[in-house]
Amino acid sequence: MLPLLVVIGIVTWLSIGTDEFARPGNLSNLLAQAMPLLIASIGQMFVIVVAGLDLSVGSVISFSTAILALDAPGYLTFPALFMLAALIGATNGIAVTRLNVHPIIATLAMQYVVLGVTRLIRPVSGGTVPEFVIASVQGSFLGVPMPVFWAITVLAIGWKVLHASRFGLHLFAIGGGMASGQTSAARNFGVPETRIIISAYVASSLFAALAGVFLAGRIVSGDPNVGMLFELNSITAVALGGTQLSGGVGSLQGTAIGAFLLALLSNGMNLANVSPFIQTVVKGGLLLAVVSFQRRRKMGL
Amino acid sequence: MSTIIEMRGISKSFGPVAALSNVDFRLEPGSIHALMGENGAGKSTLMKILAGVLRPTSGEILLAGKPLSLSSPRDGLDAGISVVFQEQSLLANLTVAENMFLGREPRTRWGGIDYPTMRAKTREALAQLDLDFDPDRQVAELGIAERQFLEIAHGIHANARVMILDEPTAALNAADVDVLNRNIRRLASEGCAIVYVSHRLEEIFELCDTVTVLKDGALVGTRPVSEMNTASLIAMMVGRELSDMFPPRADETGAPMLGIEDMVLQPGAAALNLTVNAGEIVALAGLEGQGQSAIARALVGLHVPVSGHIHLKGQTVPLPLPRESGLLKMHAAGLGFVPEDRKEEGLLLNLSVAQNIALGRFAGVPAVAPASGTRAVVQRMMDAMNIKAAGPRARVGSLSGGNQQKVLFGRALAAEMDVLVIEEPTRGVDVGAKAEIYGLLRDFTAAGGAVLVLSREALELIGLADRIYVIHDNAIAGEIAATEATEHKLLDMALSGGKAENA
Amino acid sequence: MTTVLRAAGRIPPAYLVFAALLAFLMWERPQMMNPNVLGIFLRQVAPLGIVVLAQLLVVRVGSIDLSGGGVILLVNYIISANVLPNAPGIAFVAIALGIGTVVGAFNGYMVARRRVSAVIVTLAVSIILVGFVQYLSSGSPPGDVPDYMNDLFDIRFGPVPAPVLFWVILTTCLAAFLNLTVFGRRIEAIGDNSVAAHFAGVPVERTVILTHTLAGLLIGVAALVQTASIAVGSVREGLDLPILSVAATILGGVVFGRGQGGVWGPFFGVLSFALLFVSMTILGVSEPGRLIAQGLIIFAAAVIYGLRTR
Repeated sequence: MLPLLVVIGIVTWLSIGTDEFARPGNLSNLLAQAMPLLIASIGQMFVIVVAGLDLSVGSVISFSTAILALDAPGYLTFPALFMLAALIGATNGIAVTRLNVHPIIATLAMQYVVLGVTRLIRPVSGGTVPEFVIASVQGSFLGVPMPVFWAITVLAIGWKVLHASRFGLHLFAIGGGMASGQTSAARNFGVPETRIIISAYVASSLFAALAGVFLAGRIVSGDPNVGMLFELNSITAVALGGTQLSGGVGSLQGTAIGAFLLALLSNGMNLANVSPFIQTVVKGGLLLAVVSFQRRRKMGL
Repeated sequence: MSTIIEMRGISKSFGPVAALSNVDFRLEPGSIHALMGENGAGKSTLMKILAGVLRPTSGEILLAGKPLSLSSPRDGLDAGISVVFQEQSLLANLTVAENMFLGREPRTRWGGIDYPTMRAKTREALAQLDLDFDPDRQVAELGIAERQFLEIAHGIHANARVMILDEPTAALNAADVDVLNRNIRRLASEGCAIVYVSHRLEEIFELCDTVTVLKDGALVGTRPVSEMNTASLIAMMVGRELSDMFPPRADETGAPMLGIEDMVLQPGAAALNLTVNAGEIVALAGLEGQGQSAIARALVGLHVPVSGHIHLKGQTVPLPLPRESGLLKMHAAGLGFVPEDRKEEGLLLNLSVAQNIALGRFAGVPAVAPASGTRAVVQRMMDAMNIKAAGPRARVGSLSGGNQQKVLFGRALAAEMDVLVIEEPTRGVDVGAKAEIYGLLRDFTAAGGAVLVLSREALELIGLADRIYVIHDNAIAGEIAATEATEHKLLDMALSGGKAENA
Repeated sequence: MTTVLRAAGRIPPAYLVFAALLAFLMWERPQMMNPNVLGIFLRQVAPLGIVVLAQLLVVRVGSIDLSGGGVILLVNYIISANVLPNAPGIAFVAIALGIGTVVGAFNGYMVARRRVSAVIVTLAVSIILVGFVQYLSSGSPPGDVPDYMNDLFDIRFGPVPAPVLFWVILTTCLAAFLNLTVFGRRIEAIGDNSVAAHFAGVPVERTVILTHTLAGLLIGVAALVQTASIAVGSVREGLDLPILSVAATILGGVVFGRGQGGVWGPFFGVLSFALLFVSMTILGVSEPGRLIAQGLIIFAAAVIYGLRTR
């Protein structure tokens, strides 16, 4: 609830305090800025609900832009991208479940591997992105800018999967068991735990890839660094939205509010000409503040 | 009636250790079948195999005469075998209805979850147990008894033909036990086969018709309960008489060691006062959740009372104690606390016996102090308590329940406390180890120590203690010498809140 | 026989990796296998080795510290950007240790008292410090590191470079400290089960805060050594030390809450990294290739350990 009030507060303050903010151009720009983070955060939430974390999100986003900017037709790179992302997610998930690796370590290792591969295929930013990707992000339909449709689509998919499907319920069941220390509780109910957790990591990677597609459409090229800090920002957004990092508790609307709050913050600081380095500092401080108000049962990672 | 479940020649080994060897077990529909044995006798293993949690090393399971292969609890549930394990297995972050249907959710035409159907069917299943709580309530909001009933409802709803109840009454008060027993009988009368695992003899005689006893992973025998009595049942389990379980009481007691003055547990509750003298074991009795545990935990800062004082060896400490440092403060003053849940709160299961015992000596010592000179203490404790382990370096997690409990006491004793506050000294401990633990506590008080103990088992308190305070509604309902106490009297005081005594 | 196998299975992966890489180098570049050359390789990883000492402490209590990058950059900046003209060396030492200790204590407070996820706190602290340094330096290298620091770094005792000797002494001290004191026992207990440790009379929060503070102090030391190893100040060097230190720690057989690898397992984890860097240079592996190799090693070590502790 509090983040929502903060969002309303900032919007009001920015609308009154600056001329630029309330212009349609800036609002549409704001939505477009928020979109990659929103998409990545929804993916991150899947993993957080099962008491995991996905630190490979940022690398996958950069990777995604690099793949789309390859010198190959879009009908090849586009599906290939999602297959590779699914493979990355599945590897994370298998490491966490079958190989008993801590999620943070598994996805941290993956962050390095994917970043390395990204820099191999695209050492510096450049290349061209398929036309249909650019059109789907920068164009408009019936006078409404495309990011609006992106927002509606990802939120609808996210809601359906998290809050209205068996998969979603099973995610919350597994996370609830982990949060309370009964690690086999969900399994005893016949919830296919391993498969669901692997799917959560796959979903996270797929959403990150999708966020990368959106970013590629915006920057019109591939960039090996564009995803940097997305893993932390997405965790911040999810935590801001009230999702417990210990698992089992959270909501999509919360995550959406969290993502928009972060985007607003960037937008506001850009309008106020705050140095990008200081923006990083502010976001780090915000993350610290948010998580320090989440009471956890146990201390640790 | 025909046999519904037949387990034939079941063996199970964990590495080199045989947990079960060649056990036969048969279940008839409509029967309430007690499964008994000391801890480590293999009861849980056998039931976990029947539930599909574990797979047997050899042997077969027949369901109504047909071979049954179980590779997961899901398979067990699908075959009509439902388990209410001792550990709570519900998910507190989900609702009642979600817990009922988890893993078998009804779906809408669109592939989503059909919540209206789930709610309706949940109400129906709860109604069968004469229960009425909102299907949309979060399980986190339910009490422990409600959760247990919900688990049973879950089993009924899954059309269980076999229901396994693993120590179902361990955490219930008398009134809830009645409701539970009524429902168990009804289930049996409807043709369900029930396996009842319990350490409580009185429940076995009251409820069950057949009893199977396991010992050291082997079958001792299956008998009709009508042919058995307490002595013969215990003889089957251990070959030991009940009477030699409790050591003789103290002849005289010394000066007050621990006093509680005007402790108010909750706003509006009456102030309570009690004392424990040197050389004395004092017990807190009462129905579940009346405040016994809160009193004990308030002494080490784990419960926050409204007000009051503690007198410890003439020193006065105001309540409430700080949560983080309360336990350490009292430890430094000579009061040790032995928690009930030895796996979560008591022991460091992956560390050695020696490390677990030695930690008691290090409380209150500066971090940079040398960690030496504990070997002799550890060895003395292991010898004195007859701890059966491969050696001081054996992992505590590899010991049996009784030996783990002794390690826990070993730590408290090694710390050389003057007063011990003990929750459930023998929970989940077999009969043989129980007697040894009772003896240890008596030795401790004989040497001048004082013990405040609480337990759910009235007989244990009567046998062990010198004096008993009965707690009702966060206040002391009465005090009685253990020599005069009977189960009946204690229950009477606990139920009436002390009014019967005045009348 | 089975006990022998089981004992072999308990050897931290670091020893195996170290042996394999050593064999590879001896076969591929036998001429490089002399004390002088090896000393130079080892000197490069001395800062990492000291960060690993910090990391293994916090990992033992089930926590993690990824804030080292920020601390190292800040110390580096203060020393090289001429913030304090003509300050004596001892002032820099005090500043470095002070910053490390304060950051470590803050991490410890957040992790232990406020129960915040250690990854998130320490990462956030790191990005805050890095952002701050980059803001101060506008993203460009600040200036020169004083010569006497470089000179200190270059001292040798026979074939043994001073930083390596310092690292080994520090490691020995820490091993002794953990083996001989109550603090070491408390760390073990908390790693196994912090709730049970509390009941056993361990001051859990205080010990975790102390552990993080001590780790912060060690990172301050590492920051000094790292700064001495470069001639010109930098806003990049050292950022990957925390992650590498986690890798070396796990490789050394110390995983969250469990520490069979002791202090020397992670030590060999660092040695493995030293040999790995050399091997990759010999094989001409590019920077992206190194990232991939680092990731795969972290992954492999974690998988080996994950399967073993199942």
